[in-house]
Amino acid sequence: MITQEKIEDYIDKIPPAPKILKATLTHLGNGDLVKAAAIAKEDKALNNYLKLLVNKPIYGFKNEVSEVSQIFGILGVSRAQQAVYNYMLSLLSPSKWNLFKLNRVLFYNLQADLSMNWKKILEHLGIEDKDKLSAISLLPASIIVSEALFNEKKKDVALLRSVHEIDLNTILKRLCGMDLFDIAQKIAQKWEMPEEIGEIIQAASGVKPSDDADINTLGKWMHLLLFYTLSQPQYIEADLNDFIDFQIEYVQDIYEEFSQLMEIS
Amino acid sequence: MRAVLKNGIGVFHPQGFLDGASSIAILSIEDIEATVSQNAGMVLVSLKKVIFFNRNGLDAFVKMFHKVRAANHATVGFCDYDAKKYEAIIKFYKDDLSFSLFKTQEIATLFSSNYKNQNKNVLLYSDDKSQRAAMAIELHDNGHNPIIAQTQEEFDEKAKAENAYDIIITETYLGQMGQKVATRVTGNAIIYTVSSFLDAEIGNTFNIEYHNNSLNVGFRLFIFDAYKVVSMNVHALNFFSKLSTSAAEYNATICFVGLSFDKTPKEFKEILEDSGIMFFNHMDDILQDKELLKELGASSAANIKNKRALNKVTVTELPNFIDATVATIEMMTNSKAMKESAKVDNIEVKNQENTIASSIGFYGDMDGMVVLIFPQEIAKKACELLIGEETNDKEMILDTLAELVNIVGGKVKTLLADHDVSVDITLPRTYPDVKSLLEIVEGKKGVQVDLSFNDDKFIFFLTR
Repeated sequence: MITQEKIEDYIDKIPPAPKILKATLTHLGNGDLVKAAAIAKEDKALNNYLKLLVNKPIYGFKNEVSEVSQIFGILGVSRAQQAVYNYMLSLLSPSKWNLFKLNRVLFYNLQADLSMNWKKILEHLGIEDKDKLSAISLLPASIIVSEALFNEKKKDVALLRSVHEIDLNTILKRLCGMDLFDIAQKIAQKWEMPEEIGEIIQAASGVKPSDDADINTLGKWMHLLLFYTLSQPQYIEADLNDFIDFQIEYVQDIYEEFSQLMEIS
Repeated sequence: MRAVLKNGIGVFHPQGFLDGASSIAILSIEDIEATVSQNAGMVLVSLKKVIFFNRNGLDAFVKMFHKVRAANHATVGFCDYDAKKYEAIIKFYKDDLSFSLFKTQEIATLFSSNYKNQNKNVLLYSDDKSQRAAMAIELHDNGHNPIIAQTQEEFDEKAKAENAYDIIITETYLGQMGQKVATRVTGNAIIYTVSSFLDAEIGNTFNIEYHNNSLNVGFRLFIFDAYKVVSMNVHALNFFSKLSTSAAEYNATICFVGLSFDKTPKEFKEILEDSGIMFFNHMDDILQDKELLKELGASSAANIKNKRALNKVTVTELPNFIDATVATIEMMTNSKAMKESAKVDNIEVKNQENTIASSIGFYGDMDGMVVLIFPQEIAKKACELLIGEETNDKEMILDTLAELVNIVGGKVKTLLADHDVSVDITLPRTYPDVKSLLEIVEGKKGVQVDLSFNDDKFIFFLTR
């Protein structure tokens, strides 16, 4: 169904991060919002994306924001970096989804939902770290990779899953010894994202706890946030609810705190 | 979301947070219809991966339970929960608990007529006296040894004994149980469950088409689990006599287990025996007697009156069958298939060593049977994907092989549906060696395609 070669081929075909984005991220890394905005302005698609993103209701701005400098100014360094990473990820998403019933708008919404709630979680945990805030951007990579690898095998996957409870991540791991989150980490490496981002994503898979207690805690929160988000009707209808296994035991100890924070009753 | 169907039990596995909005999205009207048409004897919703639910979240599933039970008389309920979730469900549906609750899926299987896991020592406790009794009766009927604790203290005391019980049942509730003529396969015997009063209605509830196709695929032993039958009238008597006569053409045997003749005329037994039906008091008398089981269930092609030839429609669809098979095995083993030769003739298996086989029948707009002969290595490889580890357990390999053939059958069904040909598939049958398969298909003409998967030879055979 899927071979090691297909995965390698997929990873090879991931384009390097565009120069403009790299330069924007470098300036953001130095905390220079003005320079970052000046460079980002040259990429029309990025401008468009940022405009769409920050004007989503979940960001809660009263008036429409359209200038990059304005957007970066409002977001601040950490969230601007997160937004640029979100944009990079969106470049990998297919123009037409087949395995999942997603589209461009729904995918952007998913990014926005995850990003806003992740910010809320980090504030609750008292963490102020722009790389940790950006880590959430890489989480949807697992969805994009699933789509890319399994989209031609949609019927096979459905038949397999009609007789056996098995998620896409496990299928991939058993067939190729490599799972969706390993591939997500490879993307992070290729794009020279901070190493920590890849490690958090691995922990967020729920099946590979980290030895580093802090990263493991973030992994738990991210895993639970992923399933909280994927339990929204629009994402269930997109067939995202069970693409990977929810590891309920892994997140049990943080559940109460999470449900209070998200006001679940 | 669709239920995963295995051994006649359909299980839904929702994940995450279940509220009114999400459960409606999880369970569409089409999903409910598909569940009804799966015709499973038991339909469960596993709450193992649900971290939060409220009453609205469960309601969508409860509505589905009602529909499935009304249509199929299946046993329905939730399973895989902890004490907190159990209390919540009981609280939500206090006066209206019409479905069952099984603490684990394993406990649920004890209550399905799945004879694979028979003879378990079960300790059970419920604070409701009638529930304790109901569970004990069901367990006993299904061939287990229930030990009932009458009080919580007694339960705590008994539960301390290590290794004394195979399974301990608590926090379980039996709602209305299923009442269908369910089919279940154990080894290579098909078990039908019948209950209450057997009258002319049996002609409607019994799936004769399914039965005939099972005969055609090579099943030779049919057991009617009749522990719960109160009485039988003359219409049912005629029905079973006819069934037995037609089974005799295939050398197949029909047995009744646990049928009491308190309210059924004694002479009925003689009439049924004359038509070839055998009677046993307990399921164990057959299932635990390996010799008898082998003798009764042994394949035999003798006396099959209507040897049928392949017809045009089957041959026209042949490429679809082969594609479906090859694609499935390629998917499961991650290897590439090469077609070596194809011919229309009797089946010929050159290398019979370390080979296992499986067959599945299809019927509807067209009918026939697909036989797959695997080298054990391919079968083992395919198992790895499903169970996640290497195994040499032959029973497990055969079991997984049945799942694999089921996938092939499902795929054929979808492919044919694309061509407006509608078929249903039978349960898959497995054969531990080629000899037992040949007893069924020897002398039948069909299309044989030899394939190789990374040097392993594999045979596909399509016949009627």
